[in-house]
Amino acid sequence: MSRRKMFLKMVTASLLRRRSRMLIALLSIAIGATILSGLVTIYYDVPRQMGAQFRGYGANMILVPSGEEKMTLEKARECLSVIPEDQLLGATPYRYANVEMTSRQRTFVAAATDFEQVQATSPYFAVEGRWPEGDREVLVGKETAETIGVKLNNVIELSYKPEDTYVKNTLNMTVVGILETGGDEEAYIFTTLKAMDALTGVSGQLDVMEMSVSAASEELENYVAEISEKNSDMSARLVKRVTKSETTVLAKLQSLVFLVTAVVLLLTMICVSTTMMAVVSERRKEIGLRKALGASDQSIRAEFLGEGMFLGLLGGILGTALGFAFAQVVSVNVFGSSITFQPLLLPITVIVSMGIAALSCLLPIRRAIEIDPALVLKGE
Amino acid sequence: MIRGALFRQRGKMLLIAFTIALGTSLATAMLNVMLDVGDKVNQELKTYGANITVKPKDSSLLSDLYDVEDDGDVIQTSYLKEEEVGKLKTIFWAFNIVDFAPFIDTGITLADGNQVKLVGTWFNHHLELPTGENLDVGVTSLRTWWDITEGSWLDEQTEGTENAVMIGAVLAEREGWKVGDAIFLEGPAGSCEAVVAGVFDAGGDEDEQIYAPLDLVQELSDTEGKVAYIEVSALTTPDNDLAKRAAQNPAALSAKDYETWYCTAYVSAICYQIQEAITDSVASAVRQVAESEGAILDKTQLLMILITILSLIGSALGISNLVTASVMERAQEIGLLKAIGAKDRSITGLVLTEILITALVGGVAGYFLGFGFAQLIGHSVFGSAIEMKVMVIPIVIVLISLVTAAGSLPAIRMVLRLRPAEVLHGSKA
Amino acid sequence: MSLLELKNISKIYGELKALDNVNIKVEKGEWVAIMGPSGSGKSTMMNIIGCMDKPSLGEVLLDGVDISKESSKKLTEIRRDKIGLIFQQFHMVNYLTAVENVMVSQYYHSMPDEEEALEALGRVGLRERAKHLPSQLSGGEQQRVCVARALINAPELILADEPTGNLDEDNENIVLDLFRQLHREGTTLIVVTHDPEVAEIINENFQE
Repeated sequence: MSRRKMFLKMVTASLLRRRSRMLIALLSIAIGATILSGLVTIYYDVPRQMGAQFRGYGANMILVPSGEEKMTLEKARECLSVIPEDQLLGATPYRYANVEMTSRQRTFVAAATDFEQVQATSPYFAVEGRWPEGDREVLVGKETAETIGVKLNNVIELSYKPEDTYVKNTLNMTVVGILETGGDEEAYIFTTLKAMDALTGVSGQLDVMEMSVSAASEELENYVAEISEKNSDMSARLVKRVTKSETTVLAKLQSLVFLVTAVVLLLTMICVSTTMMAVVSERRKEIGLRKALGASDQSIRAEFLGEGMFLGLLGGILGTALGFAFAQVVSVNVFGSSITFQPLLLPITVIVSMGIAALSCLLPIRRAIEIDPALVLKGE
Repeated sequence: MIRGALFRQRGKMLLIAFTIALGTSLATAMLNVMLDVGDKVNQELKTYGANITVKPKDSSLLSDLYDVEDDGDVIQTSYLKEEEVGKLKTIFWAFNIVDFAPFIDTGITLADGNQVKLVGTWFNHHLELPTGENLDVGVTSLRTWWDITEGSWLDEQTEGTENAVMIGAVLAEREGWKVGDAIFLEGPAGSCEAVVAGVFDAGGDEDEQIYAPLDLVQELSDTEGKVAYIEVSALTTPDNDLAKRAAQNPAALSAKDYETWYCTAYVSAICYQIQEAITDSVASAVRQVAESEGAILDKTQLLMILITILSLIGSALGISNLVTASVMERAQEIGLLKAIGAKDRSITGLVLTEILITALVGGVAGYFLGFGFAQLIGHSVFGSAIEMKVMVIPIVIVLISLVTAAGSLPAIRMVLRLRPAEVLHGSKA
Repeated sequence: MSLLELKNISKIYGELKALDNVNIKVEKGEWVAIMGPSGSGKSTMMNIIGCMDKPSLGEVLLDGVDISKESSKKLTEIRRDKIGLIFQQFHMVNYLTAVENVMVSQYYHSMPDEEEALEALGRVGLRERAKHLPSQLSGGEQQRVCVARALINAPELILADEPTGNLDEDNENIVLDLFRQLHREGTTLIVVTHDPEVAEIINENFQE
């Protein structure tokens, strides 16, 4: 039998035959590794997941024509190609016009838009009734609805007189929803772009495009610069109220999770070490015996480290899996979406676990080795 | 006997006490942070600005509409009273009203004939409340996202700023104005000369407007003592079903529900109370801010709860693990006690008492350590102290006692099952 | 030349003189008993001879080499190469089987060899108990494993500290028989004991 085989035999015997102690040590390392991998995963995932929540504040970028000319939907779409699809949560075109409500003889602002996109860029819009589906359906702001006294399912007649003609274009529209936002939008009447085209007789024009982009503020600034550079007749701007506040709050949240992670990790790792130390200290007598039998300090250290590192390896792998499961549970419960596994986390967790295990073995071993074997072996 | 055991095994007991202290500090820190994180993040979210607007009851939407028409001709039929603005701090949830500012606007004509919108408001208005409380409120703290590109925020509290104004960056560029320039403003009811105190970049429509002290605008538009609307920034509790029902019609709630709703800082409850305080007003939640705020608060709290649970499980397992290890280590001693005739129960009592005393020492130290960690997190993340919640203490005590007992009892029982002879023969299993 | 020679050895712990100017010579092949009541410094002397401790004063010559000033690392090597130790409390690695415990000694000395280890167990009559853990062995059996472990590397000197102190009469006889046999084969044995009967047996068997 070779020396290596004997070494492995001793290590495995210690692991298998001292099962209860080894389970304790393994459990403690696995706990540490679980917390490490779980928290680190969450830490890296928080900005992404929280960022998505912050999109609830609505559009963080707008696109407007830089000159007097209006822009077309095609042109706007072209500008948007700069932003990766998975980051662009929604892009809502808006076209405004003053329309007259025939029965009330009053003028209102009509905002034509794409209702599907509105729900993506402005998730805070609360609609009583339902969102319009056809071109003859409109959404009326709460304030306007109250002023003119329209109710759900009323039919209103909207008309618009293009500048160069004497004929008014008139459309009958059904009110399918009343919009509540607590902001200026409550004064508008929302129609589809097609209805607006029919009213005005001019199609394909836009005043502004609102975008909700899930990206950090530097990234947003890069997109803005790129769009403006590529299209001299377009200008992209950030909605400062949203982007600046998001940067501030998100930075706080991330540093919160960072500090919490750091504190929890620090304390857990010390906890793991004390347990490992207790398990190793218990074997002082064995260390003394081995020394008396002629073991050199190095070989004793090698044996115990071998054991510790093996436990670290096992605990690290176990902990990575458990930690990922935990992060997944958190992500699904808190953010309602799953996370992707970071492959790099496995080696990191395993290396840290092995390092901690080795370190916490070394201290008690060193203390045991320094003691004369005679003192350890003498009596009970 | 216990004292003897504690002192003679100082090293081992120290290790246990140390670990329990760490576990306790982890639990204390996480629980305290978790319980306070809602308030803290709520404060942070105030950077998004007001979440409630208060308007006069019969306000027409004409102001908004004509504004879009951009002819600068504002027709406002009803107003709120300026003298009532301070009443915001007298409502039930006054403590949750963080900031507010009244606004009034008017169209004005510049010296070159251009029309712009002039907004009158409080910048850092000093209020002395009947309650004796002093506070500064206004847009300086409500518009955190404004970049002051030139000059500085208008300081109402220094002399000679009655005629100072702040101008939007776009307007400043168009008109070629600099800080210190005197500009001529012609309002519907008078004219004056104002001095540019600062230029701001707000990234929105405000960039083409002029902001001036409330009094100045009232004078120019003959609206002394009147305000058009008030923006309020309040700390709120995320809405639930009750709040949603109440928002529809508070009168429809049962007496008990009404009380619960009224005494919770729901945005609808605060709006309701503002309406009670200010004559003929309608307070409504700015959904853009209120909705997202609720979502983010909920998520953050849930996140912290889950992290706290993980760390509690971690420290519980860590502690019981070590306690188990330390009991096993004493197999020989326990065997000896058994051999000299000690009853199982007295041995269990002895070991348990020892460990619990150790746990107590470690726990007390850990509580303070954990509190320190919580403050460290509070100060470095939010720049303010984490409130010390009394309820954390009993939770931690119960938790640590349970965990320590759970860690030691099975181990003691296991060791007691061993035959004393076996243990004493140095072949402890 | 003597195998072991203690010259004017003293061991002082603070005020206490555990050993005071001791002189001993042990020749190769001798079977020596060191006797005395508890507290007479037997264990201290045993530790010094076993290279587990150093004298405060004096010289220890092992194979003519003075080891009293050696580093503890060097002492470990000497102990490994030249001395086999047997303890009163047996001291086995409790998670290793009997044969593995013997092999541990081989592992630190040179090369583990299961055959040789089993042979050594055979010599102490425990071949069929080779795969048992210490907890499955009686005290006497454990001590016999320890004897096998002490002699596996063919040391020049076997040092036994109260080897029969924890044993009943039957097992004591078995162990002493083993020593007798080793002595006949020419192994040098030093036995520390406070038991006059053991000393008597050693005395009877000692062959000049």
